[in-house]
Amino acid sequence: MPDRQLMARAALDGHERTIGTVAVAEVTDLALVSAAVPRGSDEAFAAALARGFGAARPATGDSTVGDRCAARVLGMQPDQVFILFVPPDPDRPAETVSATLESAAYVTDQSDSWAMLRMTGAGVRTALERICPLDLDDRVFPQDRVARTAMEHLSVIVLRDGADSFLLMSPRSSARSFRHAVELSVEHVSE
Amino acid sequence: MIIDHPLLGPRDAAEFVYLGDACLIDRPDPGDENAARLFHDYLHIRDNPAGEHRELWFHEHGDRSWLVVTRNTLTHEIVRVELARDVALARGRDR
Amino acid sequence: MSGAFRLDGGAIERDRTLAFRFDGQRLTGHPGDTLASALLANGVRLVARSFKYHRPRGVFSAGSEEPNALVELRSGANREPNTRATVAELFDGLEATSQNYLGSLRHDLLAVNDLLAPFLSAGFYYKTFMWPRSFWERVYEPAIRASAGLGRLSGEADPDSYDKGFLHCDLLIVGAGPAGLAAALEAGRSGARIILADEDFLMGGRLNAESHEVSGRPGAAWAADAVRELASMDKVRLMPRTTVIGAYDHGVYGALERRTDHLAAARGKPRQILWRLYTKRAILCAGATERPIAFGGNDRPGIMLAGAVRTYANRFAVGTGRRIGVFTNNDDGWRTAGDLSAKGVPIAAVIDVRDVDPATAVADARIRMNSRVAGTWGRHGLRGITLATGERIELDCLAVAGGWNPNVHLTCHHGGKPVWRDAIASFVPGDRLPGGMSVAGAAAGGFTTAGALADGHRAAVAALGELGLAVATGEPPVASDEATEAAPFWHVRESRGRAWLDLQNDVTVKDVEQAHREGFRSVELLKRYTTLGMATDQGRTANVLALAIMAGLTGRTIQETGTTAFRAPYTPVPIAAFAGRSRGKDFRPTRLTPSHDWAEGRGAVFVDAGMWLRAQWFPQTGETHWRQSVDREVTGTRGSVGICDVTTLGKIDIQGRDAAEFLNRIYANGFAKLAVGKVRYGLMLREDGIAYDDGTTARLGEHHFVMTTTTANAVLVFRNMEFARQCLWPGLDVHLISVTEQWAQYAVAGPNSRRLLAKVVDPEHDISNEAFPFMACAEVSVCGGTPARLFRISFSGELAYEIAVAARYGEALMEALMAAGEEFDAVAYGTEALGVMRIEKGHAAGNELNGQTTARMLGLQRMVSKRKDCIGNVLSERPEMNRDDGMELVGFKPLSSGDELTAGAHLLALNAPADTASDEGWISSVAYSPTLETSIGLGFVRQGHTRIGETLRAWDALQRSDVRVEIVSPHFHDPDGKLLRA
Repeated sequence: MPDRQLMARAALDGHERTIGTVAVAEVTDLALVSAAVPRGSDEAFAAALARGFGAARPATGDSTVGDRCAARVLGMQPDQVFILFVPPDPDRPAETVSATLESAAYVTDQSDSWAMLRMTGAGVRTALERICPLDLDDRVFPQDRVARTAMEHLSVIVLRDGADSFLLMSPRSSARSFRHAVELSVEHVSE
Repeated sequence: MIIDHPLLGPRDAAEFVYLGDACLIDRPDPGDENAARLFHDYLHIRDNPAGEHRELWFHEHGDRSWLVVTRNTLTHEIVRVELARDVALARGRDR
Repeated sequence: MSGAFRLDGGAIERDRTLAFRFDGQRLTGHPGDTLASALLANGVRLVARSFKYHRPRGVFSAGSEEPNALVELRSGANREPNTRATVAELFDGLEATSQNYLGSLRHDLLAVNDLLAPFLSAGFYYKTFMWPRSFWERVYEPAIRASAGLGRLSGEADPDSYDKGFLHCDLLIVGAGPAGLAAALEAGRSGARIILADEDFLMGGRLNAESHEVSGRPGAAWAADAVRELASMDKVRLMPRTTVIGAYDHGVYGALERRTDHLAAARGKPRQILWRLYTKRAILCAGATERPIAFGGNDRPGIMLAGAVRTYANRFAVGTGRRIGVFTNNDDGWRTAGDLSAKGVPIAAVIDVRDVDPATAVADARIRMNSRVAGTWGRHGLRGITLATGERIELDCLAVAGGWNPNVHLTCHHGGKPVWRDAIASFVPGDRLPGGMSVAGAAAGGFTTAGALADGHRAAVAALGELGLAVATGEPPVASDEATEAAPFWHVRESRGRAWLDLQNDVTVKDVEQAHREGFRSVELLKRYTTLGMATDQGRTANVLALAIMAGLTGRTIQETGTTAFRAPYTPVPIAAFAGRSRGKDFRPTRLTPSHDWAEGRGAVFVDAGMWLRAQWFPQTGETHWRQSVDREVTGTRGSVGICDVTTLGKIDIQGRDAAEFLNRIYANGFAKLAVGKVRYGLMLREDGIAYDDGTTARLGEHHFVMTTTTANAVLVFRNMEFARQCLWPGLDVHLISVTEQWAQYAVAGPNSRRLLAKVVDPEHDISNEAFPFMACAEVSVCGGTPARLFRISFSGELAYEIAVAARYGEALMEALMAAGEEFDAVAYGTEALGVMRIEKGHAAGNELNGQTTARMLGLQRMVSKRKDCIGNVLSERPEMNRDDGMELVGFKPLSSGDELTAGAHLLALNAPADTASDEGWISSVAYSPTLETSIGLGFVRQGHTRIGETLRAWDALQRSDVRVEIVSPHFHDPDGKLLRA
């Protein structure tokens, strides 16, 4: 018999830091599951999404908010969404999504694939100007927009979930480099 | 360089990876009696146009779509951007 | 108040004094000064020595075009050579040093070069340093290197930090002079998102330098108000101290912003930022640069551009001399006489080459129309001039007005050529502009303030229309027009002494004439032969003059003669700014596996594998050589059990109704019939039949597979599979997503691996040999419920497994495995032991799948299915790739057991010469096998399988090795695979 249970360790150990007006904090309580839409099943998928999470299917580049599991659905690819939610069982989020969507999609757990940093506060966009090639202007990238791009050679998913709040997701293995890139940007623009 | 993605709008070319001529979509029928020659041409024979060129770009740091970009090789002007999957389907590729 | 040459007025803060040093001398200036204006205010005229002849030189201009006044700024590691004093903003404590002399600035021993000038003319290097050949490295190169360059690098690491960034706008306006401000005001009031960039720290351009009025007020005051209004607008970003350096495709511009150069200390903030500007439209309002006239001795300190003399008087409140003369070919030169005279500076003379009436009356000045300056005198500074008529005039500053060149540079960055306009005797932008760009004001050849204001406004209205924005005010600011008549006049033929064109590179009219005589008549050749325009100022004050002279010599028009290519950057950019923050460990990101900290705690030695850091081996106390560690890890694994972090392998989740069919086409071997709960080794070919990646793929469900790729090809394989999915077979129902980062994965290998795993895998999962045989896979749980995936696969040749958990549990699983393995003396092993064991087992890896090898060469030809369509199978049938005498993968052992094999050695018959014709193959991978206690290798040799037992030479010129080897089976260890299935 195994004599001990495995302890989970977050990509950045739950790191939090405030620099000037910008707070940078690792998000560790959300699960992320990809859901790919079977060819020819777009309608069934949209219906399952509405039934299961109470969310509309977003277009690629947009996100929608559901009324169950605090879920947010991110339109990542023409035939793929990511579902960001508070998981009832953090060890089995893909099973939760599969059951909730009544197997209407091919699901894959991505929770450990991405380290999540939330940047909040006035000055977030000024800091992001140093590493993010996307136009984050209110008219171009309003709240709920989502995009995948590259910052400092790293893939990053950018979700705007507030006027001055961005959720950034970057591959877990390079999370420390990513955190450094983000915080250096904030340091460079803070007074 | 900017590629105006049909779903996402203008994005920096740094997000993309270039492959080559869009004729790579037209993979020959391996059952053709001339398959060896057809595959040879498919892999190695390219036009080198001074003017509009249809080429494949992958939105690696983006939505992972393959795109067919029509670019003028003389001016670098990009005149059309399409989802490669739509192009492939329109050209009769399926299963 | 500082400086004997200060005048009234100007845009300096007189009530604050800044102390600075030049060549150790303590001086003072004011906020608002440049280093150049502060030096001139203190009467410092000699500031530099020229590049080649070490001629005394002074400040020539008042802007970024400065060829002469280059200094070293700051000290120690912060020292920056070749800084233009004319754009260096004065700050308290600034330290500047003159450069390019031996001895002192005033008594430069290298000024002897000036006496040798007759021998140092154009093409001197090409003609002189030819012979004898043996002198090249020993004599010429050290001598040339010692005298080359201007300022000195500190030789230390740059202590400053730099950054990059991305900005977006509807409209970029380059230059904040009258045209730029008028454009920005209209566009800003109309609600456009604007970036207004100017290289100066004070926006306003020539409005700050002239005495013109705009809308009934002094131009400088109008400009300040305009900047204030723009600063109050949300969507306007003002970027002073920012040079737009290049125009790139699709509205992208590069800009260098100097953030802390004007401060005594950067206080940890980036010194400069290299911006990438994404624009929908751009208006170039970059103004114009004045050019001189070539005449004898026109390089002495005190001879300056006439517009710069006005700038120093009007903006910086500095008189550039006690008695000033003006030499002009146009009306604009007369403004210098008028403005300086109005400021109370005596004007000694105005010499105009034109036979016209004087433009204005100038008190007490000698007015000489249809006249020319032919010579000058004064050793360290101008003391007087001689006219072509022989008349001598004593003065200490000569303002030279040769006309204005529109700053067309950015208009040419997409291959456009400027066109000559006779009316203003200048090049103006051609019609092939970068997309989205328009040009306004002096940059477009409109040299009046009124014209610039109206033109900037017009360009903004046009751009707003294209952007679909309504125009707010519709009226441009007004100013009175000034006279701008000019005559093309380049060179005084009656010159006494050398007439200089390129002051920084010491190119004279005579050099151009010589280039012409020797046949270097194309401007591009003229440039390279004489070095005209090749200095840090890129000949901004010199080029047009030189090519006008070349046009005269060849009898062609200036348009026919043309310009050299304009390339980015517009002004010099430090390499450090291009590097940005990508220095040291920030050069690129580092990827770490979930148990990295654990490995580090164990003292692992890491190796770079792409961006990954992988544990290479784990030294233990007493081990002094890496081989001791690796041998122990191999022996421990083969003897009992070892654990290796294999997280870095690429992992791709593949799902869909057609997932099996898709894999069947991606892999050379069949996957359609792989049973659920089984793993299969797969080989991928390129479409040309060459092997490119391999790995294992497990079938977790009817429509669900998980693939592993090599660490190196993870990204490429994914990309290629997306291509196949979207472009080749868009009708298949198959979906891909990377799970490389999701799973922490560990190989557990060795005869005790099952016993170890039984302690970790929860008991409800039967992992006995019967229930979970070789090549089985299952979703299990470990340590009391944590989900895991278990694969019975082996890279080492032992009974072995790979076990994966979500990355968050990776470190804990590694610890649990090691704890469970204690009773078996389990070892952690790194990539080196992994490599030794795979060579012992005869598995191909990156060295064998090197882009030159086929399935047949790898001994895997039976895997390539001929009955199905898959990538690469048609062209792998090519006859050349199926020759009977083709290369085949085999193993090698040295005949003499003490010998070491080397990877890269060529294989030769024993008596064959070491040449290409005798080459029979190569050794691709080698290792010391602690199992066999000898060096072993894998490699390729012609018809290898038929030659087992044969002896060859392994010859390696690079590593100076030549040993006899025996061809053996590549499967050194357990060739029958009994251990795997135990």
